[in-house]
Parts: sequence; C-alpha cells; structure tokens
Amino acid sequence: MPVTFTFGEMLSARSVIGSTLAELGAEHENLWVLTPDIGATLVEFRDAYPDRFLDVGLAEQACVGIAAGLAYDGNIPVVSGMLPFLSMRALEQIRTDVCYPNLPVKIIGTHGGLVGNGGSTHYAVEDLALMCALTNMTVTSIGDPLMVGEILRQSMAMTGPLYIRLAVGKKDKVLYEPGEHDIRIGKGIVAREGTDATIFTHGTTVAQALDAADALAKDGRSVRVVDMFTLKPIDEELVVRCAQETDGRFVVLEDHLAYGGLATRIADVVADKGVHLTAFERLGIPQVYAGFGDDEELRDKHGYGLDATIAAVRRIIAAH
Amino acid sequence: MSTHTLDTGKMHSVEELEELAFELRTKLLQLCGTYEGAVHIGGDLSAADIFTALFEYGLRVDPTDIANPARDRFVLSKGHAAVCMYIAMAIRGFFSYDGIAETYGQLDSAYGMHPCKVQLPGVECSTGSLGHGLPLAVGMALGARHRGEGHRVVCLLGDGETGEGSVWEAAMAARSNELGNLVAFVDRNRQLMTSFAEERVVFEPYPDKWRAFGWNVVQADGHDMAQLVAAIDALPPADSDRPTVVICDTVKGKGVDFMEANLAWHAGSLGAADLERAMAALAASREKETV
Repeated sequence: MPVTFTFGEMLSARSVIGSTLAELGAEHENLWVLTPDIGATLVEFRDAYPDRFLDVGLAEQACVGIAAGLAYDGNIPVVSGMLPFLSMRALEQIRTDVCYPNLPVKIIGTHGGLVGNGGSTHYAVEDLALMCALTNMTVTSIGDPLMVGEILRQSMAMTGPLYIRLAVGKKDKVLYEPGEHDIRIGKGIVAREGTDATIFTHGTTVAQALDAADALAKDGRSVRVVDMFTLKPIDEELVVRCAQETDGRFVVLEDHLAYGGLATRIADVVADKGVHLTAFERLGIPQVYAGFGDDEELRDKHGYGLDATIAAVRRIIAAH
Repeated sequence: MSTHTLDTGKMHSVEELEELAFELRTKLLQLCGTYEGAVHIGGDLSAADIFTALFEYGLRVDPTDIANPARDRFVLSKGHAAVCMYIAMAIRGFFSYDGIAETYGQLDSAYGMHPCKVQLPGVECSTGSLGHGLPLAVGMALGARHRGEGHRVVCLLGDGETGEGSVWEAAMAARSNELGNLVAFVDRNRQLMTSFAEERVVFEPYPDKWRAFGWNVVQADGHDMAQLVAAIDALPPADSDRPTVVICDTVKGKGVDFMEANLAWHAGSLGAADLERAMAALAASREKETV
C-alpha cells in the first residue's frame, strides 16, 4: 500500500522501505531482499515474494556474502539490518565481496548514530568513515523518511554498491514536500536558504539544523541548511558555492564521530579545491563511547545538540 | 572443432585425468621456478588432483563460451590457490599457459596471487580473503534454484579456512535453503600456514561437523583420481534438497617429496637448481604411483 504522510509530521522510514521494496519487487523480478534477523520492516516484500526473500538468521557476514553471490548471478540484492553490525561485522564482506567486484548490492539499515538507547554496541558511529573509505561504494544518510523510497527507486539503475543509513527509522519527521527538491544521489539538498553561514548535515540531524536555523532567524541571522545526504560522492560544487554564498562560514553537524564522517568529507573538498573559509566547526561525537540515554540527551551531553548547534553558528558568525 | 563444450563434461578416463594432473603439477613447478615471488605451491599441489577432476571431468563449463548461463559455477574459496586454478583452466582451454607464465604477478597482468573477476572475466568471482567463497556460492546457488536452472555451484575450500565462522554461517544457510545444487570440496591437507592443523586447532571429528550442519558428506582420497571421479559421479541431482561436501584427504606439497607436509613450503619460489630437483621428485613420484 502506498504510504500516506503529512508534511512536518512523523512517519516511519521503515514503513517506507517496506512498501517501496514491495513496489520495486513487482517491477524488478531480480530484486532480492536479505536480512540477518531484522525482518519486521520487510513483511510486505516477504509476503509478496517469499522466494526472493532470505532471512539468514544472525549471520551478517554470510548475509552480505550471499547477497554478493546473488549479484554475481545477475540479481539486485538489498541487505537490510542494523548498521552497527552490518557495517562492522560484515565490513570485509562489504569490501571484498561487494565493492571489489563493484556489484549492485544495497546495504540499508537502521541505528545510524546515537539512537535507540542500546548503548555503544548498538550505535553505528564509525560507519560512515568506514563506508566512505571503500572504493566503489556510494554512501548516503537519510533523514526524511520519504526520501528513502526515492533513493531506493533510483538505486535500481545503479551498477555498483550503495549504503543507505537511517536513524531508528520508526518515527521520522517529514522534511520535504514531494517535488519540493530535485533529489538525486550525489547532489546535496539546500533545505533552507541563507547567507550568513551554512550548516552541513545529514540524516537525523537535518531536522535539528532546521530548528537551529529557525531559532537564529529570530536574531536576524540568515542560516543556510544543506542536507548533504550523499557523503560519497560528495557534491563538491555545492560546497564551493556555499563557501562563496555564505561568507565562508561552515558548521558541520552530524550524528557520527566528528572526525571521519561528513565534516572530514567537506574538509577534504575545502583543502582539495582551495576553498577560502572564514570559520569551520564540526559538531559530532567526540572520541568517546557514548553511554546510555535517549537521542536528544546524548546529543546534548556530547556537545552537538540543538543549543550547541545554535551556539556554534553564533560563534562562527562572530569570528572575524 | 573444440571438444571442450558444455555437453562434454566427464570426457576423460581416470588414466587421462592422472596424466592431466601430472601436467598441471609440472606447469605449477615451472611457474614456481621462473617467478621470483612466492607461489602458494604447497596448497596448489594438494589441490591439483581436485582441480583436474573438476575442470576436466566434473564441471560442465565451456572455455569458448565463458558466460554460458547453463555452465556450472566454480568458486575458489581458498583464493591463494589461484595459480593452480589458472593453470587448470588453461589446460582445459580457457586461456594459454604461456600467458600465465609470462605475466604472472606482474603489473597489469590478469593473473595474480588471488583471483580477480574484474581483471580476469573467465573466473566466476574475486576471492582471496578466506571464508568468503561459500557464502558467495550459496548466493549463486540460490539464484540458480530460483530460476529453476539445473547447473551446480561448486566451491573449493581449504580445511584451514573452515576455521572462519562465515563458512559455518553459509553452511547453515545452504542447508536451511535446501541447496542440493551446491557442492563443496574441501582440500583437507591438515596444514595451516604456520602449523599442522590439529596441533593448534582441533578440527576433528571433521566430517561429523559437516554432518551436524545437515550436509551430505562424502569422503575421498584427494589424490586418488578414481575416488574423485566416483565422488563426482555419485553427486545427488542438482534439484535435490541437501548440499554435499566432498572432504578430500590430501597432502600439502603432494608429489614433491621435499615439499610434502613441510611447513616451509606453504609458499615459496624455486631457483633453477631446486626446480630441477622438484621436477625429478615429481617424476619419481609419478613413476612410483604408476608402477
């Protein structure tokens, strides 16, 4: 069934995944869905195409290897699970079995960042650094639940691997009206225009960045928010343009280690392209194992919550 | 007209296969004598008879039509035996031995220490890191089963690499999905790189481990061509519901006395003098077996 939504309200990205995969399963007879025992989201696909659904049980490495075997065999496999385990326990399978031969395997999952209150075994906070390091891998991190469906649809035409990161994916804020933005893998989204500074972000913190920009607007500050949902390949042209159009002031906000994720990707563009910046701040998880707490509490504790974001933008606008 | 077509699997007698295995070993030693870097000669020689039995008898493949959808798929899980596979494939007619010998390990060669599908399309997949082949083979077998195709997927593993947990994850998946079109051969040479297997890791009771995972288990002397042929002939039909493992007892370095069961010969290279010595040992071994 098509998912219905209301802009600004909450929607489950998981339900979008389930309905989109079921829809795509009808169009693509070689689409397979595999999971290591995280299949609740996939019921629609499983029920419609039981012979193309595989739950291998608790076996992430085999799950990715089997997906690669299916892809060698001419299929389009989607592996769905919890990212802390897919991105780390099966990292070598992703690198060697999927990326090395450049196979069209999609890795999609939940629990990107400090979400779910599971503690540090259950947080994927290094995953984007790891995935961005892999040759041939396209890396995305999605905040808006409806975008997940769009990205999955676009991915059917991709010849190489794709990583799709979600937060918990149970209750996500709808950020964009359908058709409001040209959503294309590899191109960032200017979620809000602004001229004094740019906040680059991805995934679950896009909503927080928009809230920060709203708060700063009350001070008369015009803050651009860029949803850089594709970390690799990064939209270099947009980074360069933002430096020119927002006075060279960048804050990078992400639910990931502050080094190795989007901030590092943008810093690389800045260095490689010789972009002149006035100020650059990165807000993310410091090198700590974060402990327990809900998402918002943990972001506050580790210095990248809403207040910290607002304060960082004020600091960089005050600089020079 | 080529005799190597999909329809002419099982085209050799046991004696002819033994001759081809000797040729494979000879070519392996020649390459090991000319290439200055390390060749995994120990595990190549232990698997040489299995490779010969597969590429010259068991596998339905067509060197002139490498992408034929009806071909059996071969997955080399013990990727460090790549050169043995290249030469076995060359003898079958996929490519020339001279091309392998002249370029092996060199810049831009398609032939390196571990197989790369992108660089050498004749191989089915890229492997090298151990414990990866069986999951790949499960995926290929699932795809074939789903389309109702009758070919087999055959995976060659080393026994040492079955220490990797991913092998047993895949073994469970294969049984759970009733993949009777999947066949694993284990080159059971009982050596790891730096130790004899049972010294460091207890693998026994090895066949029982596969049985416990629900596999059809066949045991063979991996250097007895008649037994390898019999094991291939007795494979259950590809549409059956239980994967088969053929556990082949082998000797690392088989055929060259100073390499046999010798930890120093996991990998290495032969100088001119040692090449001559190895060739003489191989010939002597052959003579002994044919007497």
